[in-house]
Amino acid sequence: MYMFKYVLKRVGFVFLVAFINITVTFLLIKSLPVERPIGQMKQQIAYCEEQVSLGYFYRFNEEQKNLGPYVLQTEGQKPVYYYQVPVEEQYFKWLKNILTKWEWGVSEQIEPNVKVTVIIKERLPNTMKLNIIATVLSVPIGILLGIWAALKKNSLIDHTISTMVMIFISIPNFVLISIMILIFAYNLNWVPSKFPNPGAATLTFIKAYFIPVFCLSFGSICGYCRSVRAELCEVMESDYLLLARTKGLTKTQSILRHALRNAFVPILPSILAEFIGILGGSMILENLYGINGTGSLFITAIKAKDYNVLFVDMAIFNTLSLAAGIVLDLSYGFIDPRIRMGAR
Amino acid sequence: MKNLLKKLSVVFLSFVLVLALVACGGGQTPEQPEQPEQPEQPEDLREYVAVEDYQAYSKVALEDHKKAIGDLSAYAELQAGVQAAYEAGIAAIDSAESIKAVEEALANAKAAMANVIPYAQGIQSFIGLSNAEKTEILGLLEAYAVRNGITGISLFENGGYAMYNERVKLGTEKYIVGYGFGILAEGDLTADLASEENAKWKRYLHSNNAADPGTANYLNDQGSEVADFYGYIGASYFTTFMNAEKNGYDWVPELAKTMPEAVGGANGASTTWRFQVRVGSELKYSTNSAIASRQAFNNREVKAEDYINAFILLLNKNNGYFRGGELANTSGAGQIVGAKAFYEASAECASYEELVAKFEELVGIKVYEEEGNTYFQVQFATPLDSFYAMYYISSSLYMPVPQEFIELVTPANYLGYNAEKTETPVDNSLSLGAYVLEQWDSNQQVVYSKNPNYVYAATKYAIPGVHINIFPAMSSDPEANFKEFIAGNVDSTGIPQTKLEEYKNDPRTRTTTGDSNFKLNVNATDEATWEELFGTNGSVTQTPEEKYWEVEPALSNSYFVKALSLSINRVQFADKRGSIASVDYLASNYMSDPVNGISYSTTEAHKAAVEGLLRDTDGCGYSLELAREYFRLALAELEAANLYRAGTKENPTVIKLEIAWMYPQHEEQYHNEIKQYFEEAFNHESVSAGQYKLECEFWVGTNWSDVYYNKLMLGQYDLGFGSISGNSLNPLDFMGVLSADPAISGSFTLNWGTNTADPDADVLVYNGVRWSYDALWVAANSVAIVVDGASVPAVSEEYVQTANEDGSYTEKVTITLNAEEIKDFTVQAVVLCWYEGEYKEVELTESATVEEVEGKIVVTVTVPAEVVAEYIGEMGIDVIWGADLGVTQLSGQYISVYGEYEAAE
Repeated sequence: MYMFKYVLKRVGFVFLVAFINITVTFLLIKSLPVERPIGQMKQQIAYCEEQVSLGYFYRFNEEQKNLGPYVLQTEGQKPVYYYQVPVEEQYFKWLKNILTKWEWGVSEQIEPNVKVTVIIKERLPNTMKLNIIATVLSVPIGILLGIWAALKKNSLIDHTISTMVMIFISIPNFVLISIMILIFAYNLNWVPSKFPNPGAATLTFIKAYFIPVFCLSFGSICGYCRSVRAELCEVMESDYLLLARTKGLTKTQSILRHALRNAFVPILPSILAEFIGILGGSMILENLYGINGTGSLFITAIKAKDYNVLFVDMAIFNTLSLAAGIVLDLSYGFIDPRIRMGAR
Repeated sequence: MKNLLKKLSVVFLSFVLVLALVACGGGQTPEQPEQPEQPEQPEDLREYVAVEDYQAYSKVALEDHKKAIGDLSAYAELQAGVQAAYEAGIAAIDSAESIKAVEEALANAKAAMANVIPYAQGIQSFIGLSNAEKTEILGLLEAYAVRNGITGISLFENGGYAMYNERVKLGTEKYIVGYGFGILAEGDLTADLASEENAKWKRYLHSNNAADPGTANYLNDQGSEVADFYGYIGASYFTTFMNAEKNGYDWVPELAKTMPEAVGGANGASTTWRFQVRVGSELKYSTNSAIASRQAFNNREVKAEDYINAFILLLNKNNGYFRGGELANTSGAGQIVGAKAFYEASAECASYEELVAKFEELVGIKVYEEEGNTYFQVQFATPLDSFYAMYYISSSLYMPVPQEFIELVTPANYLGYNAEKTETPVDNSLSLGAYVLEQWDSNQQVVYSKNPNYVYAATKYAIPGVHINIFPAMSSDPEANFKEFIAGNVDSTGIPQTKLEEYKNDPRTRTTTGDSNFKLNVNATDEATWEELFGTNGSVTQTPEEKYWEVEPALSNSYFVKALSLSINRVQFADKRGSIASVDYLASNYMSDPVNGISYSTTEAHKAAVEGLLRDTDGCGYSLELAREYFRLALAELEAANLYRAGTKENPTVIKLEIAWMYPQHEEQYHNEIKQYFEEAFNHESVSAGQYKLECEFWVGTNWSDVYYNKLMLGQYDLGFGSISGNSLNPLDFMGVLSADPAISGSFTLNWGTNTADPDADVLVYNGVRWSYDALWVAANSVAIVVDGASVPAVSEEYVQTANEDGSYTEKVTITLNAEEIKDFTVQAVVLCWYEGEYKEVELTESATVEEVEGKIVVTVTVPAEVVAEYIGEMGIDVIWGADLGVTQLSGQYISVYGEYEAAE
């Protein structure tokens, strides 16, 4: 019962936090000054008229001039004044459309007139596929390396692994991908220099995953490796493991049956956290490798000032992170029965 | 232990507090602000230049002034008067004994020479002149701008080197200005692209683009990216192809069948032009869509009404197309009669039939049959010659489209995706151009195949298709496309700066010219002019006092600005960056003769205009010795005017220049080298023996356009990097951006210092009379009403309001016509309007009386008490008028006056 209440409460909080995040984002981004076009007067008027048709500007005549900062006048014509629709007005309109019609708006710049949800739906699978592959790959490699380093503690192998971990954990994945593209795509010509377009051969697609998956996984592999090594080293020095050995268990048996189980308690929940981390890291990487995902969409939306796309993309990342937070919390309870969420 | 920790914490906190105080400036007491030590003026002033030398320079300046006045041999009396004033000036300069006296003698002589020439007067228009005559005016305007420093300090032209894959056979080996190498239209591909996996596309021309615009709808686009994607499928009435000699290009009909002919007159300047257009089996639409409803339009013949529909689609305000708004608001050259009126009226039209009726009623465009031929006729607001008539109607925005197709795809989805993305631009477009959309994979690739129905399909465009790969890495990595080219994935690339030395002599490399000249714009205003333009009551913008820009007086000295320009080694600067060194304001693609493709930069008019910038230099405006000499002259003048006092070698007087740039990376890319040029020239021992020091500071905003909107356009800068491009086939029109009048420059004046509206600011002589820069520009591009050399509005007004006892108000607007030649002045409407939560208006036309009193038009109208009772406060009275200016008719012009209304007691 406690658990059920706790879950309900956390889900409620997820909605509340997501709502606050999206609202604050909307208000802050919309409060940015409107970028004006660089060009002749006719182009400036056309720009303002377009903003009027998008619902972002009001158009006024001279009699209302004190309302607006944009004064535009062609020779011999009556001046026209424009001003930005107040942010709160835009916000409530936007919110009403979401709550009453589940309409998140259409893209204005990236793919004009296409529903934002359609754009996200098209790209989300690409991002998820890439991130899941990276996670799936990084967990066993990271853990195995960690175990190996722990078992060979203070040996050459341990030092080599630890040094490599330190190096790769320090290199941001966008630096890594640039280096990898240069070496593997341009110099060795083993893999494509950009994620292939539809219609390319299956082998090309498979090869194309090499660079982004490895760049995304390196950080996580290093993270897992470091955590597993640290946890395992601590457990292996514990009294109960010594007791297990004195009871006649072999080293392998004692590690597999006791050490690893206990070492994994703090590590397993971190897999989810790493997944979210990878998701964030894929933004720049997708853009650099031309992957048509929600990460690159986020960057493009910021550059193009396509606010509707930006808000939904942010909402997706936000909700995924918050949902992962709940699952993370709950997972502690399942992994370690001593932990009971929501119990007084 | 606890105590030790406590003590440590206290020490640490105190340290942090002290640090915070220092960081916030808390260490300074407000009563004793740190004052920079004023350098003491040396007792014996350093002589930067001898008076004799200064006299010699002043005589050269007076000689240049004479040259600026130009050849007056057709006006013997004026010529004699100017010569006499010139000689008197030389004598006065010779007899002056100090720098200040020489300066005064020069200014007086210049004024005396100019005053010999009478001012231009009346209605003036040069719109119908030949290209050669227009080039002469362009040369005069450019020379004026160069003399007065309002072209800024040019750095480089953005052309340079380009590389083409060995399989690309260029149309010509020599780059044609304004046309290119003719790769698609006249070129070919001689081999397959090995890296392309799709067999059909191996012979397509491959390129990369940083982003997918998500639409090909150029009708609703602000930039140039969508235009590039639309360009392959678009067609216009006329187009250009390379000439037989492969050294220029010819204009040929595309959608049209014949070249334009003037309606109702000879083929000189005319407002109305017509030409035959292709219809029926001569012109067919193409599509590669797999959707049956779209396939029905494949090979559909173009009908006469499709031509009109293109304009209705574009100008229908309900469609909200950006280019429609732009066309409607075009004024001067290229303005189509009734476009604006239809644009506004279309918002109220409920059906297509209503739109067609309104279009026929208002817009000066019609398509009709005559003797078995279909004619397209267009009426422009101002007269144009046959070339410009052809040019202004040649946009691919006006490509015909059937209304049934628009109804099928909807204007919102035309040339783009539908909301659910079940249809792509391939499905929502029809082509009449050289290529048809074949595939559009969102954010990945856009592919075109050759259009078999294209008018010139049999003789041009041998390349079977175009493949554009979307390659986002290009936006963050300046070498990304180059790497792709070297890897053999694309057919062309520019050469990044780091690879220039290695590849500029590669056999695949060609040189090109650019389309924009980048420059450092100069704020040459003095305090008074800055106040006038940008102060609290500024004519350009109003700045609160606390945000006043502290102008650097040195920049208002013409020798100082010239010296800055002379100190830049442009050849070296451009070579390092693979661009073209240039002192010109206009890039090479600006045409003085667009019919024959003659670049303005090759004309004598241009050479004469920039002669002063190139004299005694390396041929590209660089001379370190001359720069230092000019700095000395500048310091002599600035000290004589008491604007600066020399410091000492230990504590020199610092002249600080802030240079505003677009991007943070410009510091490394450009600023550091420019700073070095300036400082090395000025801070040399020979200039001031260390008594002055020049320091250049870097500035960048948060947004690239901040340099325009927050700096250059508001006068908040010393020097600012930037460039704007205009209509390269009409450079005379583009010269408007140099005007200090925002109405002429479209608020895009980037260099300040000279009042271009004032005919006395500098001498500008054309046709034996004196003009202001603005007046000559307006006359050259449309119609100018000129009074004493200055451009003025056609009418000016005086307004008197009288409150009547019954609560009504009598409004009297007295209108003065500013030129005798203005005929048939009519008041079209009188409207009272105000804002009360929403815009409200009452038409008072019927009750208005219009009478002529002593050559002035007096409009009297009474605002009834019941209307006044409705709203108390400020209300506007708009007098809407029209008139005949001879060369053009004015209609729908506004005079707006404002009255205060109070309730009757």
